[in-house]
Parts: sequence; structure tokens; C-alpha cells
Amino acid sequence: MTAAIVLKGVTKSFKKSAARRAEYTTFKSELLRWVRGEKRGDLTPGRIEALKGVDLEVPQGKTVGIVGRNGSGKSTLLKLITGIYAPTSGTVQVNGRISALLDLGAGFHPDFTGRENILINGIILGMSRADVRQRMSQIIEFAELGDFIDEPVRTYSSGMFMRLAFAVATHVDPEILIIDEILAVGDDHFQRKSQAKMYEFKAQKKTIVLVTHDLGTIERWCDHAVWIDGGVTRQVGAPAAVVAAYREAVHVAEAQNARTGDSALLAPGLALPALPGETTVAQAEGKIEVVEAWQQGAVADSYRPGASLEVRVTTELKAAKAWVLELELCRPDGSAWFTARCPLPAERTGHVLATWSAKELPWLFDALKLKFKLLDGDAVVATASHTLPIVGGNSGVKEHVKQSWHVDGAGAVVRREAVA
Amino acid sequence: MIRNLREIYQYRALLFTMTARELKARYRASVLGFLWTFLNPTLNMLVFAVVGQLMGAWQPKYPFFLFVGQLPWIYFATSIIAGASAISDRRDLLTKVRFPAQVLPSVVVLTNLANYMLALPLLLALGLFFGDFPTWHVVYFLPVVLLQTVLTLAIVYAVSAFNVNFRDLQHIVANVITMMFFLTPIIWTVQGKPDWVQKWVPILNPMATFVIAYRDIFYDHRVPDLQAIAAWGGVSLLLLWVTSLIFESRREEFAELV
Repeated sequence: MTAAIVLKGVTKSFKKSAARRAEYTTFKSELLRWVRGEKRGDLTPGRIEALKGVDLEVPQGKTVGIVGRNGSGKSTLLKLITGIYAPTSGTVQVNGRISALLDLGAGFHPDFTGRENILINGIILGMSRADVRQRMSQIIEFAELGDFIDEPVRTYSSGMFMRLAFAVATHVDPEILIIDEILAVGDDHFQRKSQAKMYEFKAQKKTIVLVTHDLGTIERWCDHAVWIDGGVTRQVGAPAAVVAAYREAVHVAEAQNARTGDSALLAPGLALPALPGETTVAQAEGKIEVVEAWQQGAVADSYRPGASLEVRVTTELKAAKAWVLELELCRPDGSAWFTARCPLPAERTGHVLATWSAKELPWLFDALKLKFKLLDGDAVVATASHTLPIVGGNSGVKEHVKQSWHVDGAGAVVRREAVA
Repeated sequence: MIRNLREIYQYRALLFTMTARELKARYRASVLGFLWTFLNPTLNMLVFAVVGQLMGAWQPKYPFFLFVGQLPWIYFATSIIAGASAISDRRDLLTKVRFPAQVLPSVVVLTNLANYMLALPLLLALGLFFGDFPTWHVVYFLPVVLLQTVLTLAIVYAVSAFNVNFRDLQHIVANVITMMFFLTPIIWTVQGKPDWVQKWVPILNPMATFVIAYRDIFYDHRVPDLQAIAAWGGVSLLLLWVTSLIFESRREEFAELV
């Protein structure tokens, strides 16, 4: 089964408009700046990284729920998937006709009747005229507006407005449906009806991506859940587990807040505190991009004992810190048997290639299992692992590992281009 | 430009529906409703007819003379002034729905073109009132309107795209358009003016070329200056090519900046 949506290393940054003096630049402001002899650089605003490298795969026909605190990048993610934003780097691939319910009533005009607005809104959402005409009676029936359907929309109550908008939005017939926080529309009766409509979508094997703060909905409906935190995918998996972890992290942050008066909750977009036992905390400031094993001058996908081995690790460092790259040789159960540490040059940022060379690796197991950690002090910032099956017999246990590190600036970088 | 036009074609349902919406919305809440389509230019024309007479710019059948030049000018000026904020005012759509952004300025131009076309019967009626029957020269009308539309679209693309970054551009444009009105022979004519005026006004001002052409077609009943029209038509096409490239290069940022 192919994936409906594939995101690889997607980042998105915005200009920080708060750093500018005016809300918008104008000719007047640009002219004044020029007259005063200020350089453009003086005012160049910083950038906010909303997404810091998201990898996500949504399988076809599944419902995927996205959770995360306000400002964690959920809506930006949805806008990237729907194509309203273009990614700063990384790729977004969408297989299928997509319909986004990011906002209800896009393009509604208050002076037009419900019927006229159905036509306009439907076309804006991607239906053809014929589609809209064909589904008009269904939509009207679903919205339950009675005679109001031929009255101008400005005479509607807000509940009626939302019902009409929701009715149009759910009658667009997409293969992939993107929903942002719009399920709680109307009264009890209408909500049940909307939920029935969503179940219908699910039954029709449509791919659904759903963002909501109603964690119960995620647990009830979704096949998978994704927790976005601080612009990265923090956890992907079964809805119950992900929701539980998210709840716990919020809880930990709240406790921290009560205790110290300071926590990630105070500013939007900050990552929630790490949970005990949580292993994959991907952070933006540094990551492990590529791991390659080389033997006899070529990339090797297996290990031949006795020959020397080179492991090339490309890291991407976004801040100059006391980075340390750690390599572990693991036993089959995953515990470390040998550890080699390599401090990376502190002044270096960007792509840094660290090469670990070893002669006569002692090995008795079926596979050479390598684990990597990128550390900032004691904090694990990124992890990676690499496994090489062993071919051609074992070399027996040796007392020492003859090994060395070499750090180089130019890494084997796989540059990913955005596709339209 | 090809990609730009192809996308517009793909989204033609959106383009036409939004245009119909604009046309309907413009007069929906008013008492006289659709009649404003005719009343607006008529009242405008009457004002200038009086002013023109006071200024001694009188021509035979002056209201008709005025109307021939005024209708295309209203089309041009309103498109550009309204088109300037076509992108920057549509945050509601741009940040919520994916569609080619050039539909928005195109809707503005198409709406005003439709208004121009709807006012044509009134132009003919006014002509008939003055005993002026249309002649075969009206065959030149269609190409002239088309080229004027190309020019208008080209300018609106550029202005709407830049107005996203420079929000005061729309006010500057409005003033430039007002100034341009008087530099275009609408309430006056180049005929009888010094040679340099006759020569340079149509060369420097594309709208002068088009207005003179309309006047040749409807008022003077003669073949318009095809060379001048072709020259400005070519420049307009080139301009459209350039501005649609500019528009396209900026378009991905619209959703973030509006």
C-alpha cells in the first residue's frame, strides 16, 4: 500500500515580523530608511522556525490525528500538506486529490443567499459547477436550514452559518481530507450528524488527517497519532500511547511551572519537557543526517570481519556548541559493549563529517549493530542506528579495538529539493 | 506566462463564479440595483460634460465624444485601483484554500471588463440619440479591447504582487491613475494640438493610443492607427510576460505575508 502523504525533512521558517518597526514595509518606510542611511541589514528580521525537520508518512485509507500544544507547528504542517505554504526545505509529496477544511465558509458573502454561497464556496473548495449542482440538494438537506437557504447569509445565526459551511465542506468529495479543529460545530444533534459523516468518510477508506485538541476524538477515531512538539515529530504511534505521552508531558510541564514558575508552557512553540524513558528526542539544533559504512573504499552493506572498517557520520549542526558524537557497538540485546566518543569542533556549524576508523573489529555476533548519539553536554539531541550483517565467519574476541576518529567539514550531504 | 494562463484556464469555474459574484455583489444591496452599471458612467459623463463645456473643450456631440473615451478609461482605472489590493485584501482565501493566486487580480480585471461590455448598449444608444450610427469600423473594437485587457492585466499583476510587500502602493497608484486621466485624451483631443503633442502622447501613454483608437472607431468612423495599436499591443504582451513571471516568483510568499 502506498502512502497518501509523505513528508521528508520538512522545515518551514517565517520572517519574524515583530522585529520590524512597522507591521508592513511601505515605500515610505523604505524611503525613510534610505534617507537616514540605514542599511537593510540593520532591520533584517530574524526567522522563526515553525517546523524543524518533520518526517511523516500517512498511509492511504487511514485516519491520522495530530496533537500538540498551541504553536507547536500543527497548523503550519497542515498548510504545507495542502500546499498553501511551500516548505523552506525538505519534500512534501501528496498522492491523491486533497481537500482541506482549514476554515469554514471561505469566500462566503453575507449578501448572498445560502444557495448562492454553496455554489461559490464549493467551487473555491475545488468542486466543479456540475458537482455542486448535483450535490446541492444533499448539502441543503444536511445543513437543515429550511426556508433560510434562500435568505442572505447575513441574516443567519452563527450556528446556521457554520452548519451551512460545514455541509458544503463535507460534501466536497476528496481522496484525502485535511481537517483543522472544525468538528465541534452546531448543537448536539448536528455534532452527532457531523460525526456520522466523518465515520462515512472513514468507511469509504479515505485518508484523513485531523488536528484537534480533543484528545478523546483522537483516541476514538484515529488509526495513528502524531505528536508534534516544538516543530518536530516527537512521537508517532498508536493513538492511546501517543495521547498518554502527550498528556504526561503537559502534566510534567505544569508541575514544573508550579514548582519553579518557569516552564515550556510560558512561551508558545517551546518543546515540552522530556519524559523519563523517552528515547527519540529529535532536536533542531543538531541532527545526524547520514550514516554510511565503508569497507575497502566502497559503501558496504555488510561487514566482513578482519578487514578494517570506516563509519562516516554526517551531522548537521545549527548552533556552535560543545557537540560530542558518540558511537556504541551493541550486543544483540541493544546494550552497549564498546563506546567511542568524538568531540566535534566547537566553532563548526553546518554539515560536519566525522569518520570512525577501526582495524580488526572483534566480533562474535550475527550482526554489527552500531548506535549513534549526538550530545550537547549530557543531553542527547539526536540518535541514529546502523546495522551491518556479518558475512564470512567470525574473527574471535580481541582485547582491544584499534580505532580512531577523524573530523572533516565536508560531509556526504544528501540535499533534498522541494517538489511542487 | 503560459503556465499562468493554463492555471487560469484550469480554474476558470472559480474565475467566472467569483466574477459573477463581484458583479452581483456590487449592486445587490442598493435600491437601483443593476441600473448602477449604467448610471455610474452616465453621471460621471454628465459631470465632465459640464466641466468640459466650462473649460471650453467642447466638441460636436460632446457627451458622446466623452463617453467613448470614458468607458474604456473606467475599465482601466478601476481595474488597477481595485486590483492593487486584490491579493493583500484576500487573506481569508489565500491562507485557507489552495488555488492559483493570479485568479484574484484576474477576477478584478474580468469584472470591470464585464461592466464595460454591459455599458456598451448605452454607448450605442447615446450615439443614436445624437444621430450617430455605428459603421463597419466596429470590427476593430474587439482587438483593441483585447490588447487593452492584456495591458491592464499586466499592470494589475505587478501592482497586486508588490502591494503585498508595500502596502502604500495602492494609494500611490490611485494618485498616478488620476494624473494619467488628464494626460489621456478623454475630455480633450489631440486633434488641433501642437505636433509634438500629437506625436508623443500616444507614444508615451498606451491608454492614449487605445482611447484614440476607440474614438476613431465609434466617433470619427475611420480606421484606427493600426501601427500604434500593434506597437503598444506588442509591448503589452511583453509586459504581461514579465509581470506574470514577477507574480509567479512572489506567489509562494503571499499566504505568509498577507
